[in-house]
Amino acid sequence: MLALLLAVGLSLAVGSRTLAPTAVLDALLHGGTDDAAEIVRSMRLPRTVVGLLVGAALAMAGTVFQGLTRNPIADPGILGISQGAAAGVVLAITLAGVHTLTGYIWFAFAGAAVAGVAVYAIAARGRSGASPVKLALAGAAVNALLVSVIHAVLTTDAATLDEFRFWNIGSLAGRGAAVTERIWPFLLAGAVLVLIVARGLDALALGEDVAKGLGQNIAAVRITGGAGAVLLTGAGVAAAGPIAFVGLAVPHIARALVGTDHRWLLPMAALTGPVMLLVSDVIGRILFPPSEVPAGVTTALIGVPFLVALVRRKTVTA
Amino acid sequence: MTAPVTARPPAPRPGAARPAGYALLSAGPASFLVHRRSAAVTGVLALLLAAACLAYLCLGETTASPAGAVRAAFGLPSDDAFVVGVLRLPRMVVGLLVGVAFGIAGGLIQTVARNPLASPDVIGISQGASAVTVGAMTFGVTSYAVLPYVSIAGGLAAAALVYVFAWRGGLQAARFVLIGIGFAVALRSLTQLFLTEGDHLIAQQAQVWTTGSLNGRGWGEAATLGWTLLALLPAVLWAARAQRRVALDDDTATALGTGLGHTRLGLVLLGVVLASVATGVAGPVDFVALLAPQIARRLTRTAQIPLLCAALTGALIVVAGDLLARTLFSPTELPVGVLTAAVGAPYLMWLIVQDRGVVRRTGGKA
Repeated sequence: MLALLLAVGLSLAVGSRTLAPTAVLDALLHGGTDDAAEIVRSMRLPRTVVGLLVGAALAMAGTVFQGLTRNPIADPGILGISQGAAAGVVLAITLAGVHTLTGYIWFAFAGAAVAGVAVYAIAARGRSGASPVKLALAGAAVNALLVSVIHAVLTTDAATLDEFRFWNIGSLAGRGAAVTERIWPFLLAGAVLVLIVARGLDALALGEDVAKGLGQNIAAVRITGGAGAVLLTGAGVAAAGPIAFVGLAVPHIARALVGTDHRWLLPMAALTGPVMLLVSDVIGRILFPPSEVPAGVTTALIGVPFLVALVRRKTVTA
Repeated sequence: MTAPVTARPPAPRPGAARPAGYALLSAGPASFLVHRRSAAVTGVLALLLAAACLAYLCLGETTASPAGAVRAAFGLPSDDAFVVGVLRLPRMVVGLLVGVAFGIAGGLIQTVARNPLASPDVIGISQGASAVTVGAMTFGVTSYAVLPYVSIAGGLAAAALVYVFAWRGGLQAARFVLIGIGFAVALRSLTQLFLTEGDHLIAQQAQVWTTGSLNGRGWGEAATLGWTLLALLPAVLWAARAQRRVALDDDTATALGTGLGHTRLGLVLLGVVLASVATGVAGPVDFVALLAPQIARRLTRTAQIPLLCAALTGALIVVAGDLLARTLFSPTELPVGVLTAAVGAPYLMWLIVQDRGVVRRTGGKA
C-alpha cells in the first residue's frame, strides 16, 4: 500500500518537468491555476489513474491465468491474449469502421477471448497437457500470427495505420479521463468475476481431481475465471495497448508477500500491479527526456530478467 | 617381409555393400554415396525454384514475357530491361540468398538442438540481430554494406546470452526454449525502444525492416550477402559432414569416443552467423529458418536434415513468398515477413499439437 502511494506520488511528480511533492499536493488539494497545478491535474493525474486501473487489471488477469493453467509463466502478453485484443481492434477499425473507444473495447474482448481459447486449446492437446513450454510456444506462435495479421492490415490500409499507431505501443501517454470513464465498469465486472472464483482457484491448485473431490465445479470455475480474466485483459489492452510481463511478474511477487490463497492473492496483485506499471512509466519518462519510452517497453525490459530467474530456479517440465 | 597378396580379402564388388536407397557415384578415384531420394528431391526443388524465379521476374505491376524476362536477366537488350533487370532481378537474388542462409541456419541449429523448435526466429537470435541493427540505424548507420555485420554481432550476442542464462550444470532444452522466448520478447521491446527514439525518417525505414522485407534491396545487398555466403562455404561443407556425428545422442557419441562439444559449438556458431547476416539484409523474415529444414526433411525422409535441400526450400519459400507479397494486394506491397509468418505460425502450432518434437525430445540435452 505504501509502495503504491509512493509510486503514485512519483508518477505525479516526476517527468520532463519535475515538481516538488508539496507542489503536487497543493495542486491536488487546493486547485490553483499556475503551471504546476495544470500539469498535475490535466496531464499527470488522469494518466496515473489509467496506470492504476490497467496495472491492477493486468496483474489480476495474470494471477487468474496462472491459477487456471496451473502454470507459473502464464501472462496475457506471452500467451498472445493481449495481441489478440490488439488484432481485434485493428480488424474493428478496418473492417467494421469502428472509431470510438467504446466500440473498440468489444472487439478487444472478442479478440482476447479467441486468442486465449486458441492458445490453451493448442497447448493442451497431446499427451503431456498444457506444460509451460507448450503454452509459451503456443503463445509465441499465436503472437506471430496475430502480428502478421496486424501488419498485413496496416501496410495495406493507411488510414487504419494512422489511427492504430497511437494506440498500439503499450503506453500510458495521452490516456486521459475519457479512457477511465469507459473502461472502469468492465474492470469492475472482471474483478468481481475473478474474486468469485478465488476459492475455486485455490482448489484447482491442488489438482483437478482434488478440486472435484472438494465439490468444486471445475468447468464453472474455468469459464467464470477465464471470462473475468479476458474482461480484465481486454479492457486493459483497450485502454493502454498491449503491455507484457505485468501479468507475469506481479503474481509471483504477490505470492511471495501473502502466500497462495487467491482471496488474498488477487487483491494483493491488484495493489502490486499498478506499482510496477507506474514505476515503469516513470522510468520511461525520465530515461531519455524530453521523449518518452512507452511503458510497455520498460515493463518488458524489467520483466524478462524476472522470467529468466523464474525459469532457472525451477526444473521446467517439458 | 611382404604380406602375401592372396591373403587380402577379395575387393567388394562396387555397390555390393551400399545401404538401401543409396547409389554409388564414382568419378576416377573419388566415389560418393548418394541418397537416391534426396538427389531426386534436390532436382525437383531446383526445378521448382527455377520456375518460381521465372515467375518472379515476369509477374508484377507490369507483366513481362518469359522470353523477354530471361533476355533481360542475362543483360541482353529487351523491352523489359528496366523493370526486370534493374528492379526485379537484384531483389530476387537477395531473396534467394536470404532463403538459402535461413534454410541452412535453421537446419544446423535444429540438428544440434535435436528439436525443430530451436529455430533462430523462435529463440531470440533473429530478434537480437534486429534489435542491434535497428539500434545502429537510429545512431546513423544506414549503409547496407555495414548493417549485416552489425547484425551478426547482435545475433551472436543474443545467442550467447540465451546460452549463458539457460546453462545450469548442463543445458536442458525446455529451459533453453523458454529463456529464448523470453529474450525474444525483451529484444523485440528493445527494438521498439530504438524505433521510438530514432529520427522520424529512419524510424519509418526501420519499421518496415523489422517485419522482414525485400523492398528496395539491390545489388549492393546482394553482393554483401553473396560474398559472406561464399566465404562461409567451406564452413558449410564441413558442417554438412559434421552434422552426421552430432545427430548421435550423447551416450553413443561418448562411447564411440567422438568429442561433440566443439563440433556442436561450431555448427551453432555457423548457424547463428548465417541467420544474422540474412536478418541484417532483409530483416527478420519470420519462420523461414523453422520451416525450410522441416519441409526438406519430410520430403527426403532422411533422419538428417539435408542441408542442400533445406537451402533450396528456404530460397523457394522466400522467392515465392515475396512474389505473393508483391502481387497479392497490388499495387500495395506486403512485407514478405508477413506472408512467411502467416504460413509458419500455423505450422508451429501444428508441431505443438502433434506433441512430438516438443515433448519427447526436450528431455535430452540441447
